[in-house]
Amino acid sequence: MSRIKDLQKNLFGGTTSNARQFGMIFTLVAIVVLFQILTDGLTLRSDNLIALFQQNSYILILAIGMLMVIVAGHIDLSVGSVAAIAGILVAKSMADWSLPWPAAIVFGLVIGAVIGAWQGFWVAYVGVPAFIVTLAGMLLFRGGNQFIGNANTIPVPEGFRVIGSGFLPEVGPNTGYNNMTLLLGLAACAAVVWRELQSRRTRRQMDADAAPMWISILRLAVMIGVIVFASLRFASGRVGTSFPVSGIILVALVLAYSFYTRNTAGGRHIYAVGGNSRAAELSGVKLKRVNFFVMMNMSVLAALAGMIFVARSAASGPQDGNGWELDAIAAVFIGGAAVAGGIGTISGSIVGGLVMAVLNNGLQLMGVGTDRVQIIKGLVLLLAVAIDVYNKSQGRFSVIGSLTRPFRRDGSGPPTASPKVGGDAAPVKVAG
Amino acid sequence: MNDVPILLEMRSITKEFPGVKALADVNLVVRAGEIHAICGENGAGKSTLMKVLSGVYPYGTYDGQIVYQGAETRFSDIRASESAGIVIIHQELALIPGMSITENIFLGNEPRRRGAIDWKSANRMALELMARVGLAEDPDTLIKDIGVGKQQLVEIAKAFAKDVKLLILDEPTAALNEADSRHLLDLLRGFRARGVTSIMISHKLNEIEAIADQITILRDGRTVETLDVKADGVDEDRIVRGMVGRELGSRFPDHTPKIGEIFFEVRNWNVRHPISADRQVCKNESFVVRRGEIVGFAGLMGAGRTELAMSVFGRSYGVYESGTIIKDGKEIVLKSVADAIAHGLAYVSEDRKAIGLNLLDDIKTSTVAAKLSKISHHGVLDEVEQYQAAEAYRRELRTKAPTVDEGVSKLSGGNQQKVVLAKWMFTDPDLLILDEPTRGIDVGAKYEIYGIIQRLADQGKGVVVISSELPELIGLCDRTYTVFEGTITGEIARADADPETLMKQMTSTKKMQTR
Amino acid sequence: MRNFLGKSVAIGAIAALALTACGSGRDEESGSSGGDAKGFAANSLIGVALPAKTSENWVLAGDLFSNGLKEAGFTSDVQYAGASTTVADQQAQITAMVTKGAKVIVIGATDAAQLSTQVAAAHQAGVKVIAYDRLITNSPDLDYYVAFDNFKVGQLQGQALLDGMKAKKPNGPYNIELFSGSPDDNNAGVFFNGAMDVLKPEIDKGNVVVGSKQVDVKQTAIQGWKAEGAQARMDQLLTSTYGSKELDGVLSPNDTLGRAIITSIKGANKPIPVVTGQDSEVESVKSIIAGEQYMTINKDTRTLVKQTITMVKSLQAGENPEVNDTKSYNNGSKVVETYLLPPVAVTKANAAEAYANDPKLAPLTK
Repeated sequence: MSRIKDLQKNLFGGTTSNARQFGMIFTLVAIVVLFQILTDGLTLRSDNLIALFQQNSYILILAIGMLMVIVAGHIDLSVGSVAAIAGILVAKSMADWSLPWPAAIVFGLVIGAVIGAWQGFWVAYVGVPAFIVTLAGMLLFRGGNQFIGNANTIPVPEGFRVIGSGFLPEVGPNTGYNNMTLLLGLAACAAVVWRELQSRRTRRQMDADAAPMWISILRLAVMIGVIVFASLRFASGRVGTSFPVSGIILVALVLAYSFYTRNTAGGRHIYAVGGNSRAAELSGVKLKRVNFFVMMNMSVLAALAGMIFVARSAASGPQDGNGWELDAIAAVFIGGAAVAGGIGTISGSIVGGLVMAVLNNGLQLMGVGTDRVQIIKGLVLLLAVAIDVYNKSQGRFSVIGSLTRPFRRDGSGPPTASPKVGGDAAPVKVAG
Repeated sequence: MNDVPILLEMRSITKEFPGVKALADVNLVVRAGEIHAICGENGAGKSTLMKVLSGVYPYGTYDGQIVYQGAETRFSDIRASESAGIVIIHQELALIPGMSITENIFLGNEPRRRGAIDWKSANRMALELMARVGLAEDPDTLIKDIGVGKQQLVEIAKAFAKDVKLLILDEPTAALNEADSRHLLDLLRGFRARGVTSIMISHKLNEIEAIADQITILRDGRTVETLDVKADGVDEDRIVRGMVGRELGSRFPDHTPKIGEIFFEVRNWNVRHPISADRQVCKNESFVVRRGEIVGFAGLMGAGRTELAMSVFGRSYGVYESGTIIKDGKEIVLKSVADAIAHGLAYVSEDRKAIGLNLLDDIKTSTVAAKLSKISHHGVLDEVEQYQAAEAYRRELRTKAPTVDEGVSKLSGGNQQKVVLAKWMFTDPDLLILDEPTRGIDVGAKYEIYGIIQRLADQGKGVVVISSELPELIGLCDRTYTVFEGTITGEIARADADPETLMKQMTSTKKMQTR
Repeated sequence: MRNFLGKSVAIGAIAALALTACGSGRDEESGSSGGDAKGFAANSLIGVALPAKTSENWVLAGDLFSNGLKEAGFTSDVQYAGASTTVADQQAQITAMVTKGAKVIVIGATDAAQLSTQVAAAHQAGVKVIAYDRLITNSPDLDYYVAFDNFKVGQLQGQALLDGMKAKKPNGPYNIELFSGSPDDNNAGVFFNGAMDVLKPEIDKGNVVVGSKQVDVKQTAIQGWKAEGAQARMDQLLTSTYGSKELDGVLSPNDTLGRAIITSIKGANKPIPVVTGQDSEVESVKSIIAGEQYMTINKDTRTLVKQTITMVKSLQAGENPEVNDTKSYNNGSKVVETYLLPPVAVTKANAAEAYANDPKLAPLTK
């Protein structure tokens, strides 16, 4: 048993992994393998992987912001509408005022910031619940989109489309692969090794036993294996295609925000506010500032997501952003965040989003209609969260405890699941 | 005594959590019509035992037997135990604040007539039940409009509505003032006279001594002994010996204060209530703290001590009106908690769980939460330093936890309080304000916390202790202010401090000074 | 230990997948055949991406494609967009069809302007793209367009509106209101312009009066072809303009909106004016027979699907499909080769004749 615990504790992300995330990663792997078999190898073919990233990068970008909003104890229903209004304004700015596209991107982010400041003001400084503020925002900005665009579609220029449908360029000698993508993969491998060494050193400094060597090696082997596999796949796409630009934006954001939420005071404050806002306030956390920031940040990311979608669609349309908030929220909760706030990780949300994305893609490849896809996705969301809730309830029997909130963000403590229920094995079963 | 029939017998109860044996071979015998107290330090297994009894941990998740009313029972959930007449009243009351007394009493148990709730008979029955617990209120009064003491009575009335045979009270007087506590204990005696059996968990040994017939003492998940109060001539010291496994010489560690000069002063402090602006919660209050001094604040509940402390601590309560704070000879203005922390103030709140800790956090993140800048370099948190700081405090304060990765929600009250203390010691404060620092903490842990407070004072810090337990103030404080209705009514030196003097000052507006 | 084994297997699976990746170089097979190669295998996959199932016409078209393509020996993959995230769904579906190796993709676009990236990807993978019913705009990679002559549809609606009103009331001026379809549907404007081609001269002469003065396509548009949108707009027009005035006719671009308009007018207890329509939906045909809705357009989905499949067959054989219009349909990037089918106007008078071959509608006309 202890080896399994070691593995569970240490295999993914060292001290900050938690049983839930561990389960989710295996769910993801299981779903990928399942569809790889069911679709005769289409799922992991390079063109499909590339399409998968392009199609979902904007939802995953939303999930990053949504995770922070939900951890802080709020919700944002307006992201789709904010994305739509930012998209139409940016498209219009290029079509009507001939703004060059890089300036238009900056303009789009500024729109996001202004909208975010508006919503943040109501949430943080007036104290209107975010649910209401963003429900209003959902109507407000959707209406704004239709008003500004007259519900027309407005095409965007070639240059701008790069952020949504562009790829890493072809440079250097003909190796049969996209060289930039290979380099990127190599850099990722190096980063993974460096991080592993770093974390071993940190663990030693904390007088904790660093994970056994075999685990470190196994973990490195698995991660490098995945990276090598992925970069070869992305690099071997049709000439002209490779790792998508939107994917690079996503990866950069995931790294930056993971670092921010885990390793800075600002990130720590978000968890503190979501965990117990009064206690956070009495510890010197500027509650209003944190709430304002998460709401504003969400709208900026929503604007970015809107622009990426518009770039990919080559035009801004009145349907942009419809239903995105639900996809983003689902990703965050499948990724292990708590409805009451205070719990959740960026990487978890990304994995949650990928589970949905792979499911969607795999079912489409199998020719399953959207009606049935929606039914399956709905059930998966429900099941994933239900298993989580069940596991938690097995660990916390007390009536008083049930009044207080679920308490674990960091899974390094002993598992709370009773021996009867395999804490990490259960979610894996969903897939099978 | 032994010819009285046994109502409940729990035989060799063993309950394991992954990695922890919470109960090992515990036995409990409760006879009909007695008041049976269960004592033990926090973490001794009292609550777990009661959860096994009430079916929160259903049959099958523990080992052992429960024999109730002569037959073995296997409760599958709380409902099952309640329908057998076993009702638990928790420390945190399970009442709905926005509903009336009647509605609360019959919540989930509403009298019906043809499918609809029969409010007429509900109100009539509520009045009967309220009379039984000595509660004279309009049954339509909302719960939030009555005091904690009366809320407790509503809980008990609710238990009677379920036709209770065995009433279990978990720390029933913890949140009550003296008068309400006394009323509650009288009530329990009355129930005994009418044949109701009660199990009571309490830290207040004087109450146990006064009321219990039998006492079962648990330590580290095992039954230590069961004492018959009358036959064995049990007193407080006897109970304490059983609980901690040794004699406690004194409740307070020996301490010679090293008091320096005045370094912190609050002058003419006026604060209004946050909602009703015409209510003045701090009326022209002034006090001083010296280096190395432990200063007590005595007062009844609602006297405004917490309000004073929190308003000084970065205006985190009420609306500031006027008044100055002088530290080290200079006037300082503290507009936010961050200001207060930066100026070396720390406030340990009276309610650890609600406003003192983020229960989702582990020990290490809690320890550093109030001063993240101390473990940050260029805005990036250093995990190693965080660990080292937390570990150092864990050792220094002897917090009982396997590692600092442990979630604070899993710690006992005393150990949670140590984490809160560590959190504020980590900010390197000059002045620590401790609001009810030992509430809900068992005897052994109290002793340790007193020691920590004294060591902090010896390091030259000023310590303010707000407490409702007079013996605590008398034993610990070098000087005590009394507060009555938002006014400081007295300042009493250690030598003059006795319960009578304090109580007199706490209940009158007349100023008095003993120096 | 069983747990542990399970995990080891999963890890092993990843490793194995990683190894298989190393074996394959750059994907050339799909990229090479961009040009006009000599057709493709007779049992190839043909993708059909249709909008959300909001009207029975799309459902019918989907069924016809499934069966028709199967009969012709192809493998078919017919997909509808989801109800809420329509555009994104359709984009993903088209990409998936390309991945699966479809040789021809027939697209009934949900938003005609937002598919150019996917069409380009299809083109690069050597897939022929046929725009079905709705022209995909701003795409230089679209190969063919097949549709009913929508300008003609509008003209027929306009003419029928005039004829209908004249039949009820020999002399004008006639009060009418105009409705048009969803602004993101390229066809909506074409219908409207066709109708205005007939109505405009009459309006200018003063024979026909638009009571609300809302004559611009943006003022008359109903987002998403939503019935409730049309009903709400009609409700407002009735209260704002037709308190005492009589309403003689309403130009409705399709049956769903037409019936919504009639519902609104009935709700206001006004006599039903001449209301046009399009699509020959079952309910509207019943309504026409009952004398409520005045006309509809029969754009027989069967003919359109049949024509599309004929084009797919030509492509399969390596021939150029037959087209009959190489001038009119400029999608913003190029003039698209188009096959246009003629629409038929249906009123109560010719319903039986028009639907004689339709197994579902024919019984209704008896």
